[in-house]
Amino acid sequence: MTTFITRRLIQTMVVIFLLSYFCFYLMTLMPGDPVELMIQSNPKITSEDITRLRELYGLDQPAYKRYFSWVAPLVQGDLGYSRTYRVPVTELMGPKLWNTFILSFFALSLSILVSIPLGVISALRAGSKLDYFINFIAFAGISVPSFWLALILIMTFAVFFQLLPAGGTYTIGTDNAGIFEQILDRGKYLILPTISLAYLQIGRFVRFTRSAMLEAMRNDYIRTGKAKGLPRAQVVWKHGFRNALIPLIALLALSFSSLFSGALITETVFAYQGVGKLVYDSIMANDFNVAMISFMISVSMVLIMNLVADILYGVADPRISFQ
Amino acid sequence: MTENVILTDKQKQDLEKVLPMWKIIASQFMQHKMAVVGMVVICFFLLIALLAPVIASVTGLNPERQNPLNRYKPVMTVAELPQDQREDRIMALENKNQDSVQAFRAEVISRGFVTPVREEDALYDLAFQDPTETLEKLNQLDSPIAKEMATLVRDFKTTHILGTDELGRDVFIRLVYGARVSMGVGIMVALASALVGLLIGSLAGFYGGVVDTILMRLTDSLLSLPIIPVLIVLAAIDLNKIPLFSQLVGSQNESIFKLFFVLLVFSWMTTALLVRGSVLSLREREFILAAKTLGARDSTIILRHMFPNVIAPLLVSVTLGVGESILFEAVLSFLGLGIQPPTPSWGNMLFNAQELISEAPLLAFTPGFLIFLVTISFNYLGDGLQDAIDPKAIRR
Repeated sequence: MTTFITRRLIQTMVVIFLLSYFCFYLMTLMPGDPVELMIQSNPKITSEDITRLRELYGLDQPAYKRYFSWVAPLVQGDLGYSRTYRVPVTELMGPKLWNTFILSFFALSLSILVSIPLGVISALRAGSKLDYFINFIAFAGISVPSFWLALILIMTFAVFFQLLPAGGTYTIGTDNAGIFEQILDRGKYLILPTISLAYLQIGRFVRFTRSAMLEAMRNDYIRTGKAKGLPRAQVVWKHGFRNALIPLIALLALSFSSLFSGALITETVFAYQGVGKLVYDSIMANDFNVAMISFMISVSMVLIMNLVADILYGVADPRISFQ
Repeated sequence: MTENVILTDKQKQDLEKVLPMWKIIASQFMQHKMAVVGMVVICFFLLIALLAPVIASVTGLNPERQNPLNRYKPVMTVAELPQDQREDRIMALENKNQDSVQAFRAEVISRGFVTPVREEDALYDLAFQDPTETLEKLNQLDSPIAKEMATLVRDFKTTHILGTDELGRDVFIRLVYGARVSMGVGIMVALASALVGLLIGSLAGFYGGVVDTILMRLTDSLLSLPIIPVLIVLAAIDLNKIPLFSQLVGSQNESIFKLFFVLLVFSWMTTALLVRGSVLSLREREFILAAKTLGARDSTIILRHMFPNVIAPLLVSVTLGVGESILFEAVLSFLGLGIQPPTPSWGNMLFNAQELISEAPLLAFTPGFLIFLVTISFNYLGDGLQDAIDPKAIRR
């Protein structure tokens, strides 16, 4: 067990390290480095100045040397400075991470709460009209473009009915309001993003729950349970569902990456101030420090969550040995 | 009491005839109604995508013709060019064909199409008439200048079945061409990633050991990444900074090629895992052992003996992959990092439409709905194929 965890931890670390280098290299391939941005804002700049500036900032060095000079202060906790926001990256990241966490947490909870009952029902009534209908909902969830769903939600609830705000994180000027009002205000801005993010997960969860449940209900012990006259609820939930739960945990583990991917799009469409939007905005604005850090943090979080889920998977199913 | 049924010869033959494999699969596939519907929808859109130039020439619409005077027009708008604009175009035409215009004017007058006060006004008078009538008249003549004028006149009055977008371009024809780009990218990426997945999966499964470990670590780490942020980083890079690339690919279709490669890098993993699994189990089978004993080369074993056994599950994963690739293309284009305008794709049409969703809601609705329709069709098709191919699948 311990060796398994250490090995996976080292593996994850190596992946994060390689990824950070790869990402750094990709960033050097983006159009416009810091000196080019200076050239644009200063028409009087001479070519000697440009070479001097490149030397000063070390931009004439090869990519791997620049990588180490970037990573050295990073390890000591200095994340650099944002070019567009004019604040240290550390200050910028905190609240955005929290916002993304809230959004993802609600979306994941909602999707689990909705999809598990739907999946179980459609598995128990396999082949019925209801099953077809739930299947259609699930397929629609997999196939709908998330940004389009978000736009449709905005069109109906914000533009047409004018019930909910079209985008944003909270109403400006509510900082001094009571804590309860603040929560209520945040909640209003969370409803649409949560729905649009959750629906993407619901599609996959329902299909997975359905097939896991069908698989579990075909086992011999289910027939035994039915034969000895156990109540149906006990057969379904205690013997069937608990065994279907194990593959579900595996799916949950894999869903973190798609959850974060979805969060990026949802946040961008709803102008919700989270890490996903920060990644997108900083890449669009050539804000390299922020782009690198927010990208690395979000990817590392997903990888670490995967690791945690892997370990939990083993805890939930004692039949799996950590080899 | 048993009833003796006497079978005719034909019925006996029918009973004894062995159905070929593909017929069994086809009949099982036909039972999955949604999959059949999906297949029909896909065929319809494929046809539209293939026939896009024909549709454009029949309707006389051009996906890139801008019309700043008629922006954001609603459904079923007939847009007419104002007179001053017509004058400008006719003047340009006359200046361009100075030597032949004299004869053309004379011909127009002698046929009695117009009765101008001065001879120089002939073409202008003709242009101010109802464009449909003018077009009919021009089609009776067959000089090159008449044809040129006919193409001009065709633009004087345009019908926009689905309205116009933010630059006054016809939405219908852009959707038609968008089908071409979106489905083209989706299908190409799915096919290419199936090839890459097939290669990597079979290498890893067949050779095992170190090759397997390295390739599977790579696959696992790529699978665990959140795809969209990585795709955004990849899509934002300037490929011309990579040596060799600019020589390989012309700058004309750069955005499409870039998108293709970026999507390819992140879509082969599931296929690779699937192929590896099949190859691992195939490796232990007797016919592979027989081929090895007979001295077949590794490449022969993989290509001739293993691939035919992997094709069926591969087909399913390609079908599902098309839907996924269409979605990713749409997401990237929507974020402004995919297909670059003016080339229309369903994703970048949405990118432009999101600015005015309150005034032109249909502009944002239609492309997204088509993406949804095609993707769900591919997903149902894949599901139906899977059920049909897999003998263990639960019958509906």
